[in-house]
Amino acid sequence: MIELQDIILPKGDPMIYWMIALLAIPFFSFLTSQKIGSKAPQWATFLLGLNTLLAIYLTATHWNSAALTMRGHWFKVGESQITYSFLLDRLTLIMSVIVNFISLLVHLFSQEYMRKDKAKPRYYAFLGLFTFSMMGIVLFNDLLFIFIFWELVGLSSYLLIGFWFEKKSASIAANKAFIMNRIGDIGFITGLMIFYTQFQSFDLEVIKSLMIDSEIKDGNWVAQFTNNGQVIINTLDGRWLSAAGIALFCGAVGKSAQFPLQVWLPDAMEGPTPVSALIHAATMVAAGVYLLARVFVILDAQALEVVAIVGAITAFMAAIAALSQFDIKKVLAYSTISQLGYMVMAMGIGAYTSGLFHLVTHAFFKAGLFLSAGIIIHQLHKLESKDVMFNAQDMRVMGGLRKHMPKTFFCFLIFALALAGLPGFSGFLSKDAILLDLAVWADIKGGGFYIPEVLAFGTVLFTSFYTLRMILLIFFGNFRLPVIMQKNELSNELKDGNWIMMAPVIILAALSLGPVFGLTLNPEHSWFVEAMPTPIYLVPAVYAAKSLVDVSPETFEALHGLVNAVSIGLALIGIVIGYLAYKPNAKLEQEFVERREPRGFFGQVSFYHWYQDALYTKAILKFVMLKAQALSWFDKHVIDGFVDGFAKSQVIFAHLMKWFDRYFVDGLVHLTVFTGGRIGQLTRSIQSGNVQAYILTSFVFLILLMLYLVF
Amino acid sequence: MVHLLSYIVFIPLIAAVLVLLTPRAYKHLYRVLTILGLGLTLILIIFAISGFDTAVQGAINSESNLQLVEKTEWFSISLGSMGKFSVDYFVGTDGLNIGMLLLAGIVLLIGAIASWNIKDKQKAYFGLYLLLSSSILGCFVALDFFLFYLFFEFMLLPMYFLIGIWGGPRKEYAALKFFLYTLVGSILILIVMIGLYNSVYDPVKTAIEAGYEANQVEQVQQLVQDGTIKSNQIVKSFNMIHMADADNYIPGSFLHKSSLAQIFGQPARWIAFLALLIGFAIKLPAVPFHTWLPDAHVEAPTPISVVLAGILLKVGGYGLIRTAFVMFPDSAYHYSWLIGFFGMFAIIYGALNALAQKDLKKLIAYSSVSHMGFVLMGLAAMTVEGISGAIYQMYSHGLISAMLFLIAGVIYDRTHDRMIENYGGLASKMPKYTVFVAIAFFASLGLPGFSGFIAELMVLIGSFKSSAVPAWMPIVATTGLVLAAGYYLWTMQRMFFGKFWVKDKNWVESLTDLNPREYLMLVPLVILIFAFGLYPSLLLDLINNSVESLADHLFQFRK
Repeated sequence: MIELQDIILPKGDPMIYWMIALLAIPFFSFLTSQKIGSKAPQWATFLLGLNTLLAIYLTATHWNSAALTMRGHWFKVGESQITYSFLLDRLTLIMSVIVNFISLLVHLFSQEYMRKDKAKPRYYAFLGLFTFSMMGIVLFNDLLFIFIFWELVGLSSYLLIGFWFEKKSASIAANKAFIMNRIGDIGFITGLMIFYTQFQSFDLEVIKSLMIDSEIKDGNWVAQFTNNGQVIINTLDGRWLSAAGIALFCGAVGKSAQFPLQVWLPDAMEGPTPVSALIHAATMVAAGVYLLARVFVILDAQALEVVAIVGAITAFMAAIAALSQFDIKKVLAYSTISQLGYMVMAMGIGAYTSGLFHLVTHAFFKAGLFLSAGIIIHQLHKLESKDVMFNAQDMRVMGGLRKHMPKTFFCFLIFALALAGLPGFSGFLSKDAILLDLAVWADIKGGGFYIPEVLAFGTVLFTSFYTLRMILLIFFGNFRLPVIMQKNELSNELKDGNWIMMAPVIILAALSLGPVFGLTLNPEHSWFVEAMPTPIYLVPAVYAAKSLVDVSPETFEALHGLVNAVSIGLALIGIVIGYLAYKPNAKLEQEFVERREPRGFFGQVSFYHWYQDALYTKAILKFVMLKAQALSWFDKHVIDGFVDGFAKSQVIFAHLMKWFDRYFVDGLVHLTVFTGGRIGQLTRSIQSGNVQAYILTSFVFLILLMLYLVF
Repeated sequence: MVHLLSYIVFIPLIAAVLVLLTPRAYKHLYRVLTILGLGLTLILIIFAISGFDTAVQGAINSESNLQLVEKTEWFSISLGSMGKFSVDYFVGTDGLNIGMLLLAGIVLLIGAIASWNIKDKQKAYFGLYLLLSSSILGCFVALDFFLFYLFFEFMLLPMYFLIGIWGGPRKEYAALKFFLYTLVGSILILIVMIGLYNSVYDPVKTAIEAGYEANQVEQVQQLVQDGTIKSNQIVKSFNMIHMADADNYIPGSFLHKSSLAQIFGQPARWIAFLALLIGFAIKLPAVPFHTWLPDAHVEAPTPISVVLAGILLKVGGYGLIRTAFVMFPDSAYHYSWLIGFFGMFAIIYGALNALAQKDLKKLIAYSSVSHMGFVLMGLAAMTVEGISGAIYQMYSHGLISAMLFLIAGVIYDRTHDRMIENYGGLASKMPKYTVFVAIAFFASLGLPGFSGFIAELMVLIGSFKSSAVPAWMPIVATTGLVLAAGYYLWTMQRMFFGKFWVKDKNWVESLTDLNPREYLMLVPLVILIFAFGLYPSLLLDLINNSVESLADHLFQFRK
């Protein structure tokens, strides 16, 4: 039997100082940026540069060494020792580099983008807080600590979305993001409750070790271990094992913007665009996928099915929504949700490697897309003046920008092709890997499990369609703003971004090319796939899913050609349709410019994202508010009304008593006295002198009698 | 230091006497005296905690579990054949009250600082405030039920006047409501206390009375149960520790574990437990006995709100543990489902009510109701995690709600208006204030890093793990966390974000950022809230052994 205390023994390693430094440097940036003031941009960027170097250094030195664990004791409650533990493995390293590197690029980019903002120090402080929290999720190997930083990431996202707090829409979007994330987080907490109840620890190493050891007996999930020599046998209904996995996944649903909580992400675009690039495209939203990767081995078959289906639905729904948006950032936001759907689905089907691969490639090309969109928005903003007011994010004012901003156009094209998944770009490799695994998975499962496959392949088509639509509307045709404003001179003023903005974008463009990850078109040959093999499930065999690792390579080989052909074919079809529909002066392009919203049922469903937001605000939110109001009324009028009514009835009763006391009891006394007096007068002549004493005596007796009756 | 607890309890009382003796010509000294007195008390409390031995581990119903014990006979009357009526001056600490003592010390001092601006009838105010402080501290350390009840009742009167004289427009109504509500609870507690006194004897004194040695307690307990020791030799007792031991109940007495006595067709012990439960639930307050709280909070002056939410509510939770759960573990198990359900219900009910409030102070009051639901649920779980979580929640809520009411006070001091809808975009006008508000709100909604998170997490895992409450209760209760985020962030958005706007033009001038005195109150609270969020051991190490003993004590009655 496993002794719990043996696993959670405090364990140190000199490496721990480096890992704490990885956390401490961005936190230091958070603490100091506000104080530094006007030099905050440079200071924060310097610190982030330092942290990125540190992450790269750690990766270079530890890539090939075995995973390192470090652990300490946090607090003790009863016989349970709550620990904190760090893990340094390839997943940690690669995430550390991505988070820090993209954060650094965003810091650089913001030097120009936020130059004129008065609250710059606060902005950089919040970026530091975000990087710190994100690094916490990545470094800790303990569900409780992952959850702690998970919530802190939610906080920093709230602060950054609502950065321009004077804008009402921004603060509403920030609230929405935080609350939607919280809804997911209560699922996460439920997962914590289940794992703690079963294993008396939040430490992932403990959970994994005890999970292998646990078994299913008569439909019950039984864990046996010793704690300080005391034998502990915990038994839960077997369904809690699936529930635990699904509960943790709920956390990922919130953070990674999956159906049905994804509605916060499009609104989160209220934040500054570099923030969108960092948080709402590359890193924070990928945290859900990262969490799934961390707990991958303790998810059972049923939980994984849920993950796969939710991922596929999300990918498809968002791809449809991206088809008809006007706002460039909205298109990118829906596209992000859709791509996150791919990653989550990948985790669900057991394609651990492919999912993480897509996380990495997507982080670069999506950050790139957002930053290039940022350049466009920033440059368009410069054209604004008192009599020229327009929404710089609206694609209806763009068009033909390739002539004005050739460098941005070139980079944007690379990112877009990576997003569409065309050969030669990074997105192709990772998407291809997911689709291949998906095809194998669907073949194994059969039946209704072909639906995710259909949705995923359909998404390929729509992705390439909206990607091309976006490119055509932004960069081709004529620059529409001068026409709308009837000021031709505007078109001469629009220029490419300066080098501070271009440099990060160019770096990201380079990293979005296929050869960075693999020289051939087969993802199997990519260094990434070789470096991050899919782990084996640790849940009791009865509940475990069939692992893709056990599938023979021949099965993959056999399907590979077909999957490749179909995905490239669909992407090309999407591009062709997109070109026909939105080429300059095509019918749809004309309509698009003139309309306020798309026409037709399909267009409306797409534009309003399946009316999900409307459902939430009109039905659920309204219901909660009505219930709150009703309960408040109930509290005031029924409960308090009862109390007040009771008090009032007491007062009325007291008044009655008073009346009774005055007229009846007192009257009786008066009557007695009166009668006594009369008798006295009558008897005075007979027995003068002693009567008063008699009356007094009888009066005292009367009072005593009354007292006796009352008590 | 000998008599340390007595010093802690009576120094505020001495300060009160000094305040009363100080002539009106020196009235600026009143507040100084108050702060000095309570400051000294806090120092002594910290001294007591630094000497608190966390290794002491005894059963919850044995005096070996106690530290800093002071026990002397206060008075005793011989009642002939009915035995002897004796009341002890018996105070001491264990894990259950040491944390509460610290909380009381901190919050009372902060409340005193918050009282700095009280201009009206200063002598009476500070005198009553110090009297209140003494009774609260006494209530936490008293281990003789008679003494406990005395302190418990003594809290009522100063509180009544503090709300009724220095309160807002509907102060009389609120004060009377508070008084009557609590009085109803007190009567229930009093009845049970009398019942307990009639059923429990002091084995040590009985041993001496019956001619045995004081260390032959177990033998004497056996003899009493056998009926060998006659009733005229039995010394009855108000000792709360003795009341927790089933062997100390007189055979055939009303509340003996095998008593057949029934009230309303239910065993007497169950009814006695329910009476204590309701008595303290009013103080906690638990839904549906909570409606005095919003009124009392809205009308009370800021420092009194701080003390009310920060400590007075915790007397309810502490009393529940110390009396109901410790003395009636069997009944507690019987009713655990009900208590857990009311806990869960309060969490959601309070949160939904908070969502509908327009008055900032009412919103905070209802959030208190919601947070106290966690205390009930954690206690109902009866696991170490659950009970620790409940105690942690009391402690943490004491700090956080104190901060929330101070924050509401800041805005009220400036404009005399607390309506959320009358403000907008305060963040641009009062940025520092906004930071503190954000900290308080996020702490209260249970963000990790703040003390509330640890408490709520422990309650939830403790109740899920527990066999006493069903697993769905903590899961349903988590929705309270989402609602808390809802009402706090919505308030944040309405009052602090957007363009600066206030209803009354005249307020613009008076809305200045925090002053040094406000920093002095808020900064220590922020530090403490962080400290207890990051180092739960600060409190858990103190309470762990007692909570484990309590959980064991309760565990033996598991169904």
